[in-house]
Amino acid sequence: MLANPALRPLQTAAILILVLLGVALMAALAPPAMQRTVVEAMIKLTVVVGLFVFVGNSGVFSFGHVAFMAVGGYMSAVLTLAPARKETLLDLPGFLEALQLPWPVAMIVVVPAVGLIALAVGWPICRLRGIALPMATFAILIITFVVASNWKEVTGGRQALVGLPRYTGLWVAFGGAALAILAAAIYGVTRHSLLLRCSRENEVAAAATGIDVERERLIAFVISAMIVAAGGVLFSHFIGTITANTFYLDLTFVTLTMLVAGGMRSLTGAFVGVALVSIVSELFRTVERGFSVGNVTIAAPPGLQEIALAAILLAILILRPSGLLGDHEVAFTSSSSGSSPAKPEG
Amino acid sequence: MGCLGLSLVISGPMRVPLYRTCHTEHIRNPVNLLQTSSLDVRAVTVDFQGLRAIDDVSLRLHGGEILGLIGPNGAGKTTLINVLTGFQEPTRGSVHLGGEDIGAWKPHQRSRRGLVRTFQSVLPFAGLSALENVEASGLSIGLSRAEARADAERILMEMGLGDKLHRAAGTLPFGEERRVGIARAIAMRPRFLLMDEPAAGLNDAECRDLKQIVEGISQSLGCGVLFIEHRMSLVFELCRRIQVLQLGRTLAVGTPDEIRADPKVRTAYLGQEAA
Ligand SMILES: Nc1ncnc2c1ncn2[C@@H]1O[C@H](COP(=O)(O)OP(=O)(O)OP(=O)(O)O)[C@@H](O)[C@H]1O
Ligand SMILES: [Mg+2]
Repeated sequence: MLANPALRPLQTAAILILVLLGVALMAALAPPAMQRTVVEAMIKLTVVVGLFVFVGNSGVFSFGHVAFMAVGGYMSAVLTLAPARKETLLDLPGFLEALQLPWPVAMIVVVPAVGLIALAVGWPICRLRGIALPMATFAILIITFVVASNWKEVTGGRQALVGLPRYTGLWVAFGGAALAILAAAIYGVTRHSLLLRCSRENEVAAAATGIDVERERLIAFVISAMIVAAGGVLFSHFIGTITANTFYLDLTFVTLTMLVAGGMRSLTGAFVGVALVSIVSELFRTVERGFSVGNVTIAAPPGLQEIALAAILLAILILRPSGLLGDHEVAFTSSSSGSSPAKPEG
Repeated sequence: MGCLGLSLVISGPMRVPLYRTCHTEHIRNPVNLLQTSSLDVRAVTVDFQGLRAIDDVSLRLHGGEILGLIGPNGAGKTTLINVLTGFQEPTRGSVHLGGEDIGAWKPHQRSRRGLVRTFQSVLPFAGLSALENVEASGLSIGLSRAEARADAERILMEMGLGDKLHRAAGTLPFGEERRVGIARAIAMRPRFLLMDEPAAGLNDAECRDLKQIVEGISQSLGCGVLFIEHRMSLVFELCRRIQVLQLGRTLAVGTPDEIRADPKVRTAYLGQEAA
C-alpha cells in the first residue's frame, strides 16, 4: 500500500517523526539548557510545518502567519491564566476573567477558533492575485501587532502578559511537532494538496483544468493557520510570558528563513531548515556569550547570530534558490516526481 | 478495462483516447450530457486599449464536429479561445453553451462543465509528474483519487506515455509534453475541446498521431473540437468545416474545398502555402 506514490507523504512523516523521536530521546538525557534549545526548535518546527502547508503547496509567500501564533498565544493566555492575575493585568468581561481552563482544553478551543478567524481573513485575501496576496499577509501581521500592542483590556497592551502556565516541556513540544508533521502529511495525500500544487505550477492552466484556485488556497490557508496557532500556543507556554513583540518581525524572519533554507516545497525541507537554522543560531549564540579555549576567552560581538542567519539565507537563495532539498522528500521507496534523481536517504 | 470503454484501437504506436461510459461523470454532472450539444459565439468583439483583436465574430461548434479555425498570426484565434474559456471578457457579444449564456461562469467552472482547452505553449504543471498532471483533471471533475489515478494512467498509456508516468512534466521532450497537455484536457471529459495550435513544433510522425487522437476524441464521445492550426494540410484533412479569421474579422466559413477556392482567403492567407 505504501508503494502508492500518492501516499508517500505519510512515509515521509513517519520517518521525520522517528528522527524527531530520536532527537527528543537524546535531549531527554542532555543538560537543561540544551533541552530548552531542542524544545524551542521543536516549537518552531511546528510553526514552520504549518507555514509549509500553505506556502509549500500554493507557492504563495506569506509574511503573516506569525500573526496566527500571536492570536493563538493570546487566546490561550486568556483562557489559562489564573483569574487573580487576569484581574491585575487585564480588563476582561466577568465570565472570561473567571474562566480558567486546563491547558489541553484551551488548546482544543483555540486551534479551531483560529481556524475560523483564518477562514474569515483568508476569504478576501485568497482572491488576490500576484504580489497582492503576500502583501496582504504582511498587512495581517502589522494589524495584529498593532492591535496586540494597544488592546490593553485583552492583551495587556505594551505590558507583558506574565505568569502563563509553562507546560511546554520536551514531550509536549515533541507531541506538537509530531502532530503538525502528521497533519501536513495527511493534507499532502488529499486531493486538495495536489490541486493546489497544480496552481502553484501554473495558475492559468490550473483554472483551465477546473481547479478553483481561490478555494484550494483558502483550505490550505486555514489548515496552515491552525497548525501555526498551535505552535503559538506552545511557544507562549514555553516562555511563560508574551508581548506583542514576541510575535513580530524577528520570528517571521526566522521561520521564513527556516522554510526557505530547507526547501519550501518539501516537508523534509522544512524539517532540515529548522534543524540547520536552530543549530547555527545556537552555535553563534554560544560564541556571542563567549567561550574559553584553554585559558583564552573568545567572545563575538552581539548581533553576530542574526547576521549569520541572514548570510545563510542569502547564500542559499543565491546558490540553491529552491532550498537545500528542493522538492525532494525522504521516503522508504524510491520513485519521485522530482526533476533530478538525486535524493537524500531515509 | 473492465467497463465499457470505447477504446478505438488504431494502428501505430498510439491508441486513441477513450471514455469509460459506466463511470460517475454524468451522475455528478448531469448538465454535461444533454444540454451542451452546441457551443455558440455570438457577435463577440474584444478591444485591447485601442487594438480591436476580435471584431464582431460569431461561431458555432456542434458536438462531434471538428471545426478548423485558421488565420495569420495576430488574427485573434487565441483571444477567441480565451473568450470562450472565460480568461478574457468580451467587450461585446456573448458565449452560449447548449443555449445558456455562460458569460458569468469563471474559467474553472467552464472547464468543469466540459468546455476544455489546451494552450499554445502547453503550460504543463512542470514540477509535477505526468501522472499528477492528468490526475488533477479527474479530481477537479469530481472523481475519487483512485478513479482519477486509474483514468490518468489509462489515458497516458494510450498516448504512448506509459513509461513516463512518474517523470516531471517539465523534463519531458517537447512532443511528449504536448501529449501530456492533451491528456490533461481529455481527462476533463470535454464536451467541447478547444485546441490552440496543438501541432506546433511536432514532427510529421507526431502530427499523424495527433490527427488520430483528435479524430478519436471527436468520434468516441461526440466531443466537438475547435482546431486551431497553421499547418494547412492537417486542417484540411481533419475538418469538414473551416472558419478563417483575419485581423479579428471572419473572412470566410466553409468546407475545405470552398476555403481553398475562396479568392479572399487565397490572397489574405493561403497565398504563400497554396501556391
Ligand atoms: N492581453 C493582450 N493585451 C493586448 N493585446 C493583446 C492581448 N492578447 C492579444 N493581443 C493582441 O491581439 C491580437 C490577436 O492576438 P491572438 O494571440 O489572439 O492572435 P492569434 O491569432 O492567436 O495569433 P498566433 O497565430 O500568433 O497565435 C494580436 O495583435 C495581439 O498582439
Ligand atoms: Mg495564438
